[in-house]
Amino acid sequence: MRALPVALALVLALALPAGVSGTGAQASVPMITDDLGHPLPLPRQTPRRIVSMAPNITEILFALGLGDRVVGVTRFCDWPPATKDIPKIGGLVDPNVEVIRSLDPDLVIAFRGNPLRLVDRLRRLDLPVFVLDIGRGLDALCPLIERIGRVTRTEERAAALAAGLRARVEAVDAGLRDVAVRPDVFVLLYGQGLWTCGGESYVNDLITRAGGTNVAAALPKKWVLYKRERIIRDDPDAVFILARTAADFGAGRNALARLPGVSGIKAVKRGRIFELDENAASRFGPRLVDVLARMAALLHPERFGGPA
Amino acid sequence: MSRTAGRRLFWAVCLVLCLAGFVASLLTGPVHTGFGDLWRSLGHPDRIHRAIFIDLRLSRAVLAFLVGAALALSGAILQGYFRNPMADPFVVGVSSGASLGAVLAIALGFNAVAFGFSGPGLFAFLSGLGIVSLVYALSLRRGGYKVETILLTGIAAGALASAATSFFLFMRSDSYDQAVFWLLGSFQLAEWSQVATIGPWVAICLAVSLWLARDMDLLALGDESAQALGSPVRRVRKAFLVMSALLAAMSVAVSGIIGFVGLVVPHWVRLLIGPRHRTLFAASALAGGTFLLYCDLLARNLLPAELPIGVITAAVGAPFFIYLLHKKR
Repeated sequence: MRALPVALALVLALALPAGVSGTGAQASVPMITDDLGHPLPLPRQTPRRIVSMAPNITEILFALGLGDRVVGVTRFCDWPPATKDIPKIGGLVDPNVEVIRSLDPDLVIAFRGNPLRLVDRLRRLDLPVFVLDIGRGLDALCPLIERIGRVTRTEERAAALAAGLRARVEAVDAGLRDVAVRPDVFVLLYGQGLWTCGGESYVNDLITRAGGTNVAAALPKKWVLYKRERIIRDDPDAVFILARTAADFGAGRNALARLPGVSGIKAVKRGRIFELDENAASRFGPRLVDVLARMAALLHPERFGGPA
Repeated sequence: MSRTAGRRLFWAVCLVLCLAGFVASLLTGPVHTGFGDLWRSLGHPDRIHRAIFIDLRLSRAVLAFLVGAALALSGAILQGYFRNPMADPFVVGVSSGASLGAVLAIALGFNAVAFGFSGPGLFAFLSGLGIVSLVYALSLRRGGYKVETILLTGIAAGALASAATSFFLFMRSDSYDQAVFWLLGSFQLAEWSQVATIGPWVAICLAVSLWLARDMDLLALGDESAQALGSPVRRVRKAFLVMSALLAAMSVAVSGIIGFVGLVVPHWVRLLIGPRHRTLFAASALAGGTFLLYCDLLARNLLPAELPIGVITAAVGAPFFIYLLHKKR
């Protein structure tokens, strides 16, 4: 079948004009490069119509005082409460290109967890898209805030916000200096099954920074389904349950205490099962520092005088 | 109703449905738009309406129509070629080959856009054609155009490619969402450059198959008889094979794997207007395009989130197909 390769070559040759779309770089405009390596002309002033494609980005935009300029958010963006009235562009993995286009944004901030084929499609509609990496540890938070500050031209506010957060993290670090005991911690994501955070999750980093040891730290994943036997073997000193509501937390605590075998672990016997705000802990935004402070106070009450 | 009148009715209904489908595609979507908006933006479009109507909705509708036409034409060709109503573009391995390519590109993180195709699209196109070429090369080595050999080799090669696809999916479970897009098909990423890439080829293949349609009629009598009647059987067969593979691989490259269209649309058309290949090819292309246009309308409007179009084609097409089969018999 010699005809097939020939036909193939013909298709590609015919398609060539469609594929080439040269855009002459404007040298005079300062550029900013996003985390995927795509250059974007740096906005001259703060964009007026910003679409956020992730809850943590929305939260940071509001923390930078840009809430009134956010014209589109995902349906998962529920913090701060003012996001309720902002048009929804869909979810994290199913944002709607047409809706985003109709909002006429002058800046779209996406993150690497969005389907990049859709992000690309937005870019080819000539929308200014800025893609950010998913944070891997607490140390990535302030750079992320400063990067969003840079692209929204609110550098000063971002620097102030970051400085405040850094000071609070340093206060926790200082409180934990030379800490002798690092309690073993098991994190439970409330819901179906024993989901916990592995070593690649930033929650793992939070536990470490809060003076604890994540029992699942050796698992090289973000979120993993843990085995009941391993919890019994690990015998953690404390359990954090990530729950949306107090009722969920209560249900999670009771379910855990009733699990055969698990009911005998130290954390359950000593009643050291604590609630963490799932909403705050699951978004890589400023509230992570609240979570950190709470974790540290719960794990080391002797140093921080109990939880705030 | 006489045959001719029935045929005329078929064409008229198809054309009206097709036009109505394009208008409906332009008017419906997650952003609420009315006829007034469309009318105004025909005169002096503002930026947003232009992007929504022209760049998003119209390009998508045109691409869906083209892919539907390509798949149905490819199916019509293969069913004639193999003299077998079970044949469709994906039996000879195009689909499994193409999904292997797409999933491989996703696993390797190859995302560059080239020739209007995305990275996975380009890989899908190349590996789809690659598998078919391999199947044909293997089956034709013994010098014959034996139908069973091609079909069985195609099925075997397809199974092998499916195994490899599953393996890569298993290894990279985080790319699952992207893989579903390729395995079940979608026009979510439609744009004009894709239309420009495949449009001319669909037109060329349609023209050539209409031109060779008479030879395809003769093939139905058997290769020896066709040869005796003056048809250059080997060359005709080769041309049809190349065209059907090309049409299917290009479709997969822009929209992922959309099953059922290539199998069922030619059947509908044959039941409605008869087996002569010239009308069959043209009518299959029109009906396939129209069918996929409506399926895409459903896929993007039925639920708040978009459905993969493969779900719709089967769910809508199968019951109607069964109804037609039983009504006619």
